[in-house]
Amino acid sequence: MMSLLAKWTRENNELAFNCKQQNDELNRDHNNLFSHRRCSSDFHKLLRKLQGIPPHSDHAQLELSVVYNACVCLTALSHFEEAELLLTQAAHRVLELAGEDRGTSDPSVLWRAALKSVAGTALHRHVLSLLCLQWGIWLAKSCLNPIKEFQEEMSLLERQGGAVWDDCRTEAKEKIPNIPRLVLDPRRLAELLKICTAIVQGAERLNEGWNTLSALQAAAALPAPRALIAYTHLLSGSCLAHMNRPQMALQCFRRALETDPRCACALYQSTLLYRQLGNVQAEIQALRILHSTLLLPPTTEPAPAAGRLLSPSLFLCSQSLGSLLSVPSALSVLHSLALKCVIHDRVSEGVENYLDLLAALRSEDQHGVTANTLTAHAVVSTLPKLPRLYLEAAAALLMARRPADCMALCDEVIGTILDLLPDKVLLEDPEDGSVAESREEREEAESGLVKLLWAAAAYLLLGHCYAQQEDWKQAVTHYTRCFNLLVKVHCKNNAFSPQVSAPDKESNQGVDLCVLQRLKGISLAGRGISFAQMDRLREALRDLHLGLQALPEGVSAGQWCGEVLWRLDRRREAAACWEKTWSHTCPPLAEALPVYAQELQSGPLLDPTELRSRLKELGPL
Amino acid sequence: LSSIIFKALSHGGKVVLFTCKPDPGADGSERSGLTFRTFYFEREGNAFVKATEGAAAISRKLAARMDVVTCESALDVQRRVKTPFVLVTKRSEKGGSFQYSLLTLAGSPNRLEPCIEFKLPYQMKGKVRILQGPTVLWCHGNSAFYTSPLAAGVREVPVQTTRWLFGELPIHKGQLFALGLSEPLLTNQPQSTLGYFLELGQVFDGSLILPRPYLCITQCVRVLRADGEGDALRCAVVAATSQKQLVLFENGTVRDTCELPFEQADDVQVVNTGRSGCLLLVLFKQGHVCAVWKETFQVRISMKAIHSAHVGDFLGCGTEQALLLFGGPGFSREPLEKFLITDLCGISYSTSLPPQENSLFTLQALESRLQKSQLRLCLKSKQRRLGSKRPPLPEGLVALWDSDEGSDGETLDDKMHETPATSSKPKADKLWHRITGDQLVVGLILSAESASGVSLSLLTEPGQSSPAVIQSRSQVFWLPARGPPTPTLPASSSGRAFSEPAAKRSKRRVAGDDPEARRLAVTAATELAPLLTSGCVKCRAMLHYAEEGEALVPESRPATAVQHCGNVSVDVHDLCQTPLLQNPQIRSDEVREDLLSLLTVLDHWLFRIDSPDYSLGDVDGWIKRREGFKKIEVSPEHLLLDSPGCSAPMLLRWHQINPFQGNLSIHSRHFFSIRTLEKISSPQLMGTREPLRNTLTLRPSTKFSRRM
Repeated sequence: MMSLLAKWTRENNELAFNCKQQNDELNRDHNNLFSHRRCSSDFHKLLRKLQGIPPHSDHAQLELSVVYNACVCLTALSHFEEAELLLTQAAHRVLELAGEDRGTSDPSVLWRAALKSVAGTALHRHVLSLLCLQWGIWLAKSCLNPIKEFQEEMSLLERQGGAVWDDCRTEAKEKIPNIPRLVLDPRRLAELLKICTAIVQGAERLNEGWNTLSALQAAAALPAPRALIAYTHLLSGSCLAHMNRPQMALQCFRRALETDPRCACALYQSTLLYRQLGNVQAEIQALRILHSTLLLPPTTEPAPAAGRLLSPSLFLCSQSLGSLLSVPSALSVLHSLALKCVIHDRVSEGVENYLDLLAALRSEDQHGVTANTLTAHAVVSTLPKLPRLYLEAAAALLMARRPADCMALCDEVIGTILDLLPDKVLLEDPEDGSVAESREEREEAESGLVKLLWAAAAYLLLGHCYAQQEDWKQAVTHYTRCFNLLVKVHCKNNAFSPQVSAPDKESNQGVDLCVLQRLKGISLAGRGISFAQMDRLREALRDLHLGLQALPEGVSAGQWCGEVLWRLDRRREAAACWEKTWSHTCPPLAEALPVYAQELQSGPLLDPTELRSRLKELGPL
Repeated sequence: LSSIIFKALSHGGKVVLFTCKPDPGADGSERSGLTFRTFYFEREGNAFVKATEGAAAISRKLAARMDVVTCESALDVQRRVKTPFVLVTKRSEKGGSFQYSLLTLAGSPNRLEPCIEFKLPYQMKGKVRILQGPTVLWCHGNSAFYTSPLAAGVREVPVQTTRWLFGELPIHKGQLFALGLSEPLLTNQPQSTLGYFLELGQVFDGSLILPRPYLCITQCVRVLRADGEGDALRCAVVAATSQKQLVLFENGTVRDTCELPFEQADDVQVVNTGRSGCLLLVLFKQGHVCAVWKETFQVRISMKAIHSAHVGDFLGCGTEQALLLFGGPGFSREPLEKFLITDLCGISYSTSLPPQENSLFTLQALESRLQKSQLRLCLKSKQRRLGSKRPPLPEGLVALWDSDEGSDGETLDDKMHETPATSSKPKADKLWHRITGDQLVVGLILSAESASGVSLSLLTEPGQSSPAVIQSRSQVFWLPARGPPTPTLPASSSGRAFSEPAAKRSKRRVAGDDPEARRLAVTAATELAPLLTSGCVKCRAMLHYAEEGEALVPESRPATAVQHCGNVSVDVHDLCQTPLLQNPQIRSDEVREDLLSLLTVLDHWLFRIDSPDYSLGDVDGWIKRREGFKKIEVSPEHLLLDSPGCSAPMLLRWHQINPFQGNLSIHSRHFFSIRTLEKISSPQLMGTREPLRNTLTLRPSTKFSRRM
């Protein structure tokens, strides 16, 4: 009759074999949770049997192997607490076997005592592999201090690898049944944990502002899955970026991508760095690649780390790392790309990107799922609200001289929100603490303001469209509609006049008020220009003056104001007006403000050289 | 009044209470005696109703102190019915001996009749069992004793051990057994469980019932099912252990375990609830009880402050229920006042709980059924899984970036053997020769712009006859420039400088590779034996090389020039040990010549190690740390293995192309099987990492074997 030990060993070996096989099979179906759960409960059951009798030296190897197997399965399920409990119990039983259990609760003391009690015996490597699992759990829980304490023991596991484990392996090959099988070679586990620890430690230290370059470089030479090697390069890059060596940082990001072409976070970090460097073309290029990378279908996890059983992501859950590995959603990236293109003179490209974005949003709306929820990276969505996206796209279309398409988008925006517009928006001075206003009221006023601005912007763009088509009458109508919406906003405190040139104000309302003011200026200027085109010069002059009042740095308003004055034969005034306008440098499009709240130069233009020659004819003032 | 002690048992759906009258009257008028009362459960009244009662006078002597030891329902073998038995003890006045009587409650008139009487010189302590027969079993010291009407007197189990467990096998002819620890005959022999069949007087292997490690920790045991006889015995057993576990054994193997909520288990009873399966009722010494479903082997319910628990069909519904009698202050007056009858499957009657709370038990019952059906579901899916086929393996990803770095490694290796296009007249530097193994190697160190067409041939000494070409094979090796003190080939790319952009690095490398400073070694190897037998100990070394300019025209055979560069005379004294093998740490020309000789003579194998998903790590360091491998100072990238076990030295070179690829170059005398490679190579490359093994492409692409 077989002894209890032999039976239990056989049971363990069968379970381990099944576990490995199922894992191999199921991994392809992305459905290994169930299999892990069953493996873990089977091992746990076997362990209960083993631990149902007092610790015995004959059974100790098997028992520790089963603890190891059970804990690997539990770890794979992220059941770290349960795994830790089993590990602690096992350590206590090891001590009990040596008759040394003093019931310590400090894990470091416990493990040290357990290791000491088995020093020089065959159990030593078993206890070490359990400690290795404990290491993984500490890592998963971001407890880096005990890991530092046991660094020496961990390297011991790797080093002793050679001789002892090889013997074990050859023996196992000869199919001696009484060697307990493990579901995962502890050396593979140690290997995985080593690089994961290096990555997490690197991220933590980076977060604390330390230079971790050498440690990360050493980690890059470790045996590891491709994705993790890529992370070490990524972290080196971030480290170099912190050290203000952007070119070297970019080299590292490139190396991360070379190692793992799917390392989207390296691309994203590159775009951030290019932005910081002001290298717009490179940034746009990187954004484009990032977008197409994010659109790739999620692969079957290619990293067979630690025999497919334990995914590295289990151990890479530190917060500092998470923020480094986070990547915006594909749509956010597409939006940034589109906006960048429009702002930096690549209008037609920007238009295409905007149209792609709107199409993607529409199909996503229909299917109701985000394609990116499946990607492994943390997804950050920074996508603006839909009306704003429509308006930005419309502005791009206008710039690309596609007024009909622009009008279609604007009509859609107006059609959607016109019924929701408030009759009046009353704004409080946010710095005026004396007015006790309820939060809901303020929020309502803010959302009313935002909607009003969207509708006004839509009318403004429509006005621009008609102006582009030289339908001046329609242009005047739409500029007027825009302006009429804008005057519905009232500020309670008269002294509080929004500063146009302060778009970088912290609060949303600050930006909104800035946009309000700009829209006022631009719409008045537009109407003035339209009147000028219709030869209604007095009305034109009035509007252009008002427009300049609202937006003193308005270029077209200034130029056209001069032109109207010139036509009215007020040439000296015209000259002064032009001079003043030219004294402002024409500001390039900026990212801080919505594109549609900036001067798009889409309307009728005046040739400055012609104006200057007229001035020359006029002679000195 | 508080000293009244009740012992209760369940029999035929009724509860029987036994009480000994306490101290006889001080005047001695009252005889000490045993009273019994039977109760049945009345559903309508939700209470137990007394059915019969009676008394038995046991002692004819006055003033004898009497106690109920235990009572149990057991099979009366003669009458073949289950009968309640009660064991009482009387202590004689002298105090020297103890009188025991087993009484049975038999027959319709419900009378207590004496069954066995025996005397012991000591008082029974510990657990006393009344099992089928009736048989009374107990332990004293290291011995187990039993008595029954058939046994005629007190018998002793003829084995002595420190620990005894009693039980009965529910087989056709009941088998009473006792389990104990057998003392090993030899100290290193493992202890096993000793079993003894009382009726047969036979010793058997008790580990069929309870494995040895459990014997010492088992507190109570019950056999659920058994068949077969002797060594073919098959049985299912539950045991409660001191490790707070209830363990299910099947044929001596642990089938399942269940953590118990309390310590010190006293008894395990089985409740057959009919369709819902078996419930195991575990009683604990402190008056706790818990119920475990046999199928799921999980604790369903646990309760405290229980006086006793009984199993029977108290409701008369055909299945069994558990009856829990709650202890408490009023227990001695009305022992059956507080009770709970339940099968955890919908049946629940209790005085302490109002009827509407019974839904709780219904819920629990539903839950327990659900639990069981889940179990079945789990089993089903298990079977389905076994039937499913393996899906095909997904295609591996192709690395996108190995093009530039990979070619880096290629060229490095090709430099060793292939020859660039242009050439000029080479300048011979030094001619040397070695006897390596059974071969003569003649080598020439020379400076040349290219190695195009460079080879070395051997001619016999013209003095004897007309010069003849000696069959030989020639190889060319690039040597590092003379300038730097350490002769190294370009370093592997694994340890790249971090901070340098790629452009800078490549520039520097080109600058170091000045073609004018190139030195090479050309060797010719030939079998030594034919030379010696033909008496030819002197030969001429001829250097062949391509004429300048010719090689620039493609597709044309370059005109070769021949140059005599010295004579070699073979001396038997050259057979002595080579300095390289004696001490690879020496850096001298002789050692380098030894190395070149070895490289010429040994077969060459080149393996491309390719692990697309998992980086290789520090293979170089790993190989260097392996025992027996020695670094060669004149060419540090080569490792020498010259252990006594190997018949010929082996040279190993690891070149890492990138973190995921590397070349392993091996120079060895003998045919190389994968198995040998596995032995010498790192576990990171071979062995346990299964996925890698799939992708490992072994490419013995450039094998230079001896051409004859």
